[in-house]
Formats: sequence, structure tokens, C-alpha cells
Amino acid sequence: MSILEYLANGLVFSSIIVLSGVGLSLIYSIASFANFAHGDTMTVGAYGALVSFGAVGSMGGLLFGLPYGFYVALAAGALLAALVAVITQRLVYEPLEIGSIGLLITSIGIAFVYRALIQLGFGTDGRRYAVPAMRPVEWLVPVGIRITVQEIAIVAFAAVFVVALHLVLTRTLLGQMMRAMADDASLARVSGVRTSRIKLWTWVLGAGLAGAGGVFLGLYNQIEPRMGFNILLVVFAAVILGGIGSVYGAMLGGFLIGMVDQLMPVLGDIGIPIGTEYSYAVAFLIMVGVLLARPSGIAGTTER
Amino acid sequence: MTGDTNGTLGRREVLKGAGATGLVLTAGCVGSDEEPAETSTPESTVYEIGMVNSLTGSLADFGTYNKRGMELALESINEVGIDGGTLEIIVEDSESLPDAGVSAAQKLATQDQVPFVIGAVGSGVSTSIYESVIEGSDIVQLSQNSTSASLTDYPGLLRMSPPGGPQVQVLSDVIAEDGNGSVAVAWVNNDFGQSQRDGFLEAWGGEVAYESPHDQEQSSYSSVVAEMANSGADAWVFLTYQEQTALMLSDAFSNAYEAAFYGSDSAKGPSVLENTPSGSIEGMKTVEPSAAVDQANYQSFASRFEEAYGTAPTSWSSFAYDCVITAALSILTAEEFTGSALGGTVRGVTASPGTTVTTYAEAVEALDGGGPDAIDYDGVSGPIDFDENGDPVGAFQVFEVSDDEYTSLGTRSA
Amino acid sequence: MTAIRSRLSIPAEPTVRVALGAVSVLTMLLVVGLLTGGIGPAYLLYLLGLSGMYVLLAIGLNVQWGYTGMINFSVAAFFGLGAYGSAILTASNTPTGLSLSPLVGLVVGVGLAAVVAVLIAVPTLRLSADYLAIATLGLAEVVRIIIQNQRAVTNGNAGLRGLPKFSEGWPLLGGFPTGAPTVTLSEITLGPFTLLGFRLGRPVWQGLLDLSVVVVMILVVYALVRRLHRSPWGRVLRTIRSDEELAKALGKPTFRHKMEAFVLGSVIMAVAGVYYAHLNLFVTPQNLAPINTFYVWIAVILGGAGSNRGAVFGGFMIIAIREGTRFLRELLPQQLGSGGAVTDLYTTVIGNFGATRLLAVGLLIVLVIRIRPEGVLPPRSELIWPETREEPDE
Repeated sequence: MSILEYLANGLVFSSIIVLSGVGLSLIYSIASFANFAHGDTMTVGAYGALVSFGAVGSMGGLLFGLPYGFYVALAAGALLAALVAVITQRLVYEPLEIGSIGLLITSIGIAFVYRALIQLGFGTDGRRYAVPAMRPVEWLVPVGIRITVQEIAIVAFAAVFVVALHLVLTRTLLGQMMRAMADDASLARVSGVRTSRIKLWTWVLGAGLAGAGGVFLGLYNQIEPRMGFNILLVVFAAVILGGIGSVYGAMLGGFLIGMVDQLMPVLGDIGIPIGTEYSYAVAFLIMVGVLLARPSGIAGTTER
Repeated sequence: MTGDTNGTLGRREVLKGAGATGLVLTAGCVGSDEEPAETSTPESTVYEIGMVNSLTGSLADFGTYNKRGMELALESINEVGIDGGTLEIIVEDSESLPDAGVSAAQKLATQDQVPFVIGAVGSGVSTSIYESVIEGSDIVQLSQNSTSASLTDYPGLLRMSPPGGPQVQVLSDVIAEDGNGSVAVAWVNNDFGQSQRDGFLEAWGGEVAYESPHDQEQSSYSSVVAEMANSGADAWVFLTYQEQTALMLSDAFSNAYEAAFYGSDSAKGPSVLENTPSGSIEGMKTVEPSAAVDQANYQSFASRFEEAYGTAPTSWSSFAYDCVITAALSILTAEEFTGSALGGTVRGVTASPGTTVTTYAEAVEALDGGGPDAIDYDGVSGPIDFDENGDPVGAFQVFEVSDDEYTSLGTRSA
Repeated sequence: MTAIRSRLSIPAEPTVRVALGAVSVLTMLLVVGLLTGGIGPAYLLYLLGLSGMYVLLAIGLNVQWGYTGMINFSVAAFFGLGAYGSAILTASNTPTGLSLSPLVGLVVGVGLAAVVAVLIAVPTLRLSADYLAIATLGLAEVVRIIIQNQRAVTNGNAGLRGLPKFSEGWPLLGGFPTGAPTVTLSEITLGPFTLLGFRLGRPVWQGLLDLSVVVVMILVVYALVRRLHRSPWGRVLRTIRSDEELAKALGKPTFRHKMEAFVLGSVIMAVAGVYYAHLNLFVTPQNLAPINTFYVWIAVILGGAGSNRGAVFGGFMIIAIREGTRFLRELLPQQLGSGGAVTDLYTTVIGNFGATRLLAVGLLIVLVIRIRPEGVLPPRSELIWPETREEPDE
């Protein structure tokens, strides 16, 4: 069978990592610390969508194999993730006048809190969204690609969100101010940019993207309290590889890491005895390799 | 909070001190006045034993199954009582990790001073607890769910779940009998999975087209499934947990991969049925250690379970249930509530000689003041009958998925 | 990073007094608890042993972060390398079939950690803060994954067990736990209190022995590290921490210094790992999970980043938080109210206590950082050279 299959899998998995990674990169550039609660923010999004989907039901027809209600739930999940993140930011991160390492430690504590609350509310069992199970798209199978319409939806929507983000960053005032802040926060403030407002929006966007990523991860794999935490390291690797502060770097990094993870079987096929259990090890080694050549990541802008 | 000013130093300092102390106090290891393991009141004695369970962490699902089995057992026991007394269980969380498990066991052993510990789920956790805490003490340890071969090396470490070896032997026989020549084995990368995989590969005589470990907490199993499909094997064997099995089978469905599916007992359960598309795993066969499903005690256990929790029990709950019953019987027949006395009775109550009993109430009646040799408790998970290594004799049921339900194809032994 | 300056405070004596006050109160409570039977002596010794291990880890991390400003997230890997280095040579089920003494294990564990430290340092030390953090985290995961899957050498997930105690085989001390008599302290009743009434048997003596081993380790390491901090070498490290460009401009070989500090810190972590292996008598790849690195960081930051006293305090704090929350359930009543949403909520909280503990740990971490962001015992006067003060400081 084929490398095309692996590539298709890689594309889907990458989309999820890209969504989350872009969100993380945004927050990184504005809040200036590594938010280790980002993974659990994804989990919040996934569960938010679970609850909303249960509430609204399928609402009639299907789009890409997913009920309309699911898309409503997707939005709800992303919004919930954004809301939770903003509240945390206001209550916890902002009042703290400590360095980024202190904020990092705090975010670890926050991650525990999110995860524990979800576990208390929903238990530890894995769940899935009540969407119809799919078979691969018929006409692609002979070509050697096995992908369902739902997986195509994940890729499509990730692409849409990423393009939308790009447009926001380049075409809107908000985006320009965000980029200004990322470059030099004090200068931006002095130039009249309302930095606290921009910070808020960045958190909303960043966490919202993470939430969306969480929903798709729940769709692709399953929904359980540790889902976000388990993918966190790989998302970080993607962002670092792409370069902190660069949203486009995060996209590239996410794509690369996701592909590497799903292409591991190729090694076995061509006779290199590195099993899929080493996939994350390979991903991290590639990340370090890139950093050797480019210490700020592929497209890193800030020296931090 | 940078920089103190001179003026308010005294008061602030005191407040900080009080605050810091209060904080660390609530966090610190100051326990309340300790209840000894056995309190005698005019009304009744409370027998306290300990349990190390995976309440959080990667094996948290098993923690839930165990909890349910334990609760049902406590009901059965305290309905009748232990010589007028009641049984209570102090449960500590192992977080599915050996270090936390050892901490948990340390607390139960040295702090709560229980003479009997049911624990743990993960084989690695059970052996660490044994080596670090139990060995050399006179506490009885009975693992509810550990199946790795390594536990057999410790005669003092009893377990309710049969070692993985005989089970995968039966599984291998079933696969071969169905006419499959080659297998692709997906096994979970931990002590449990490793042990099952070693046993299976030893037992299997045919071709092994693929065998590879996967982690429990992977964000995607697509590459594993793709590899299994690429291997061209006739049969796919799942030596992993329900969650991973369901995910991989769903992935196989959405990729339209076809093969004959088989699994060990951990790959069987309501989660698998619920989380795979209807009809997608029709014909999948699994092997599970359990009493025959038409046996009366199992049926009553299953229906009580269904009523209380809305879902069918898994073998894991049965093991936990039997652990608690065995502990209670052990206490009932012992001279005193100490580890050494309990250690002397725990095997006798589950093995012959003695009248065969299948429920706690029956056992109490049959005992009538006798010793451990007066009864032979056969539980809902099988006849138990601990051997000299502390392993139970296994009875295995073969199940097949038919119309989205598990139906039993009968009992087998290795 | 600009953060360093904002995090510093130059407090006067009272902050130390606060910490000491809290510690003495807590110690008194522990003693009271011990006497009245609230805490079993063997359990207390075990917890102290674990705290000691965290103290060692925190000191090691402090050499890297506190002294030199390197954000190292590979703590668990070096801890694990120390533990595995020793375990592979001494465990009863080791695939190598060797059965050497724990002291040999100590040497090998430390050596292994030193080698890997160099391997990890070379590609990562030139990276700036956040990149260094994630790069070290990634490489630590690589180490863990290799250990987990190279079953022929490490026994994979089955782990290595049957490790001898550190003191096993030593002439006098080896036989101490079993040989020493069991002392029974009979109960004394003072009014409403029952005191003592417990046995000091084998587990207690063994616990004391284990504790003494880690105390010796801590004393040696602490003295060494303090000495180094005050030496010219330590000065260069501090300059690198505050302003690496300046250090380079002054002509100091910064990379070499950073490498040395990194290796030293990692070696100390490996010592902690060896201790753990012979305390717990079981090692598994899970010991190298990233969460363990996070716990050590929490210990260092909460204790007071940059100071060794803080590291020591942090070691105790993290154990207090993690293990102390176990007792929370016993302090809480079984049921709250008599029905309705609050009662149900309470029952869920009590019923799923594992998750509640996780919540408590998370909240405590956030709370402590809120109350005291610079840690309980932060370094004083860090930017003031010792020569200009009478009493040079940590």
C-alpha cells in the first residue's frame, strides 16, 4: 500500500497540530511566556463542543459528513476555550508581576486545575462525538488515498481558519496592532496602541484556535481529560521549530511534525528498523536539528 | 510584592507567617487523630483494609471499574456483616504510576496500619508496592488487576487476575483454529502489554506479519493501523486496552481495512462496543477470564452491576469484587485482625477442601464458625484457588461480537 | 530576559523570619503529630526521604537555573539516567545479569548522566531561553523513549526491580535495620491525649538509614555548590546569568562555563536518581516522564528561585503539597448538606478524590505564586558582589 495513505493521515494530524500551534504562537508572542496550560485549553474546547453538541443535536443536514449542529458546537467549544483562557489571564496571569518562568510554573498549576475540573465533571472515560461513522471517500481509494469526508473537513476548516487568521493579521487594524505589539510592546504602547485590549483579543484568538484544535482532535481521535496534555509537547515542538513569534513558522512546524509522526511507517517499509513507537523521538530530534542550524527556529522573529 | 517598607513590617510579617503556615498546614502531612485499624464500640467492630487504585492517570478507567466492583462487594458484605462488624476500605490513588503507588501503599501500611492491601492495577505498580512496602512486613497484598508474568515470581504477592500467559495461549489457539495463518499484533507499551505479547508470541505457531508497541496516550493511532493493514496479516490481535482497541478499530473502519479481529480480555468491554460503528466489529473474538456467564453468581452480579451503573461489568470489576469478598472471608475466618493471621487464611478460603460457595452470604452460612478450610469460594471471576505463587487458576470464556453484543462461545482452559 | 529584574526583591531580614517561623510551626506540628500518633514514624521518615530527593534535584536545577540562568527541562532525564545507570547493574531482574554494589551503581549512574549531559548541552546551550527549554524537554523525551523501548538493556516498561538498599552489604550499617531491636514506646495518657504507643521496628530503622544517606548526600552537595558559587567560576556564572553579552565582552569563555554548570547540575540530579532507585527499589521509564521535571521546577520556583536555601525549602514544599493533599480527604466530612446541588457536588468531589487532589495541587501552586511570587526564600542581594558586603550570600 502506499505512502499516499500515510501522507493523507499526516495531513489530517498536521491540521490539528497547526491549529493548536498557531494559537500557542500567538499567545507566546503577546504574553511572553510558554503557556503549559495550552493543551488543557484544547481539552476545554473539546468538552465544550461535546456539551453543546448534546444540547443542539444535529440540526438537520450534513456538511462534509458532519451535522450542522456539530459546526455550531465547534464554535461553542472554541468560544468556551477562549472565555476560560481570558478569565484565567485576567485573574491569574495578569496580576502576577513575575518573570516568564514563574508564569510558566503558574500555567502548569492552571493546567492541573482545568484537567481536574474536567475529570470531576465528566469522569475519565473516553467519549466520541455522536456523528455518523464514515467510510473512505470512494473515488480516492483506487488512487491509494483513504480519507473520510470528515477528515477532509478537518483539513479544510483548519485551512480556512489559518487563512482567516492571515487576513486578520495583515488586513485588519487589530492584526497590525497585534504584530506591532509582538515586535515591541513598549513602543506600541507609546504609539497609542491599547495594549491591554490587544492582549485580550490575542488570548481570545489563540485560545479559540486551540479550542477548535481540541474539537478536531476529539473528532479524529477521542475526547478524554488528558487529550490536550498528551499532545502538548508535540505542539510546543512545532512552535519552537517554526520559531516563536512567527505564526507562519508555527504553521510550517505543525505541518512538519504532523507529517513526520504519520510517515514513520515508511521507515519500516524501506528497511530502517525504527518503529512507530519512536515517532515523537524522531520529531524532537528533527526539532533540535533545525535549531542547530537556525537557533531561532525556521522563521523566528524574536530573540527571547 | 516586591520590597517591604519599614513601617508596616511587624504586622505584615506576622500575617505572612500565619498565612504561610496556614497554607502549608492544609497542604502538609498533618493527619487527624488516627483511628486504629480496628475500633471497638459497643455496637460493632469496623474492619479497615486498604486499597491502592488507579483513580487518576492513564489507568483511571480501570480505577472506575474497580471502584464499582468494590462498592458492590461492600454492599454484599455489610448486608450480612463480618461477625457483627462492618468492612471499610481506605482507598488511595496510585495515579497509575509506581512512585505514587508506593507512596499510597506506604501511607496505608505505616500510617493507617492496615493488615490487608488490595492493590494495584498496573503490574509495575503492584510489584513496586510489594518490593518497597509489603515485602518483609506481614501485610497481605492482593492485586486486583495485574497480569504480568513478573508477579508469579513473588509468592507473597497474591493476585485475582490470572497471569497473562494462559489467557494468550487460549487466544492463540482460537485464532489458529479459525484458520488464520498470519497475525498482526498491536500491544500496549507497558508491563501488561509486554507480558501479553511475550506470552502470545511464544504460544503462536504461525507467521507474525507485524508486531509493535503503542503508547496508551497517543493522540493518533492511524500509523499503527496503517502498518497493520500493510502487513497483509489475516488476523489482527489487540493486546491492549478498550480505549485503544476502539480507536484502532474505528480507524480501520474509516479506512475500509478488512481483517479478522481478535483481542485479549482488556480489549473487550462496553467501550469497544459503544465507540465503534455498529456492525463494524461483527465476529470479533476475545478471551476473558471469568466464571461461566450462565453461572448464577455471575448473573446476579451482572444484573446488580447493570442496575447500579447502567452498563455491563468487565472482568476488571469482577476481579475487584472477588478481592473484597476474599478479604472479608479471610477476616471472618482468622483468629485476629492482623496481617499474619489473615495471611494464614486468605488462600484457604478460596481453595479446597471445603464446601463450594459462590456468594458471601452463602459462605457465612456454610462457615458457621469454622476455619478457612470449611469453604471454597468460587467467585464471579472464576474459581480463584490461589496456587503456591499466589496466582489464581484461570477459567476462560471465549466471546464473539454478534449483533453488537458479546455472546459467549463457551469455556476453555489453556 | 527582562523578567529577572522585576522578580528580584531586596527584602530585609523579616522574609527569612517568615519562612523560618512557618517552618518551626510546621515542625512543631509534625512533632506533635508524631507523638500523638497522627503520623506514623516510618511514613514520616519515608516522606522525609522523598523530600531529600527533591531537595537534591532542586539544588542541581538551581546550579543550572539559579546560578547560570539556563532553563533546563530535562531534569527527569538525568534523574532517570542516574536511577537506570545504577539499576541496570544492581537489579535482580536486569537483562545484563550483573549484580554489583550500589556504590558502583552510583559511579556509573553519575558517569552516564555526565556523558548524556554533554550530548544534550552541545546542541542546546547556544539557544536562548525558551528554545533551550523546549529543546531540553524534547531531548529528555528522546532519552525516555529510548529507555522505554530498548527492552534488551532496560527491560522496557516492565522496569527493573529487586534493587538492593544503599546500605546493603555495608559492614555495620547493613545489618542495622534487621539487627537493631524493636523499641516499643508504650502509651502515655495525659488527660484527653494518648501519646506514643507505637513500635519502632525494622521499617523505622531502615527509614532512618535511608534518610541519613540522603542527608549526607545533601550536605556534601550543598557544601560543594556553595563553595563553587563563591569562587571565581561562580562569579562568571552569575555574570552570564545577568548579562551574557557582557560576560562575552569581558572575554570569558561563556560556552564552556555554561557547559560545566549544566553538567554539574545534571550530575547532582543523577545522584538523586541513584538515591531514589535504592530507596524505592524499583525503576521504570515512567520515572523520566516530563511531569517529574515540572515538579522539580515547581519546587525551585516556589522555594525561591536562585537560592540554595530556597531549593531546600522547595523540596519539602513540593512533597508537602503532593502528599499532604492525600490527607485532605480525611479532614473533610463525608457529606455536606442534605440534598440538592451542593450535596451532589460535594459527593462528586469526595467520590473522585484523585481528581480533587489534582485540583488542590494546581490551586496550591497558583496560590503560592500569587502570595509570594519570588518564592518563599528568594536569593538576597544577588547583584551585589560579595566583596562589597560583609556576608556573601547564596
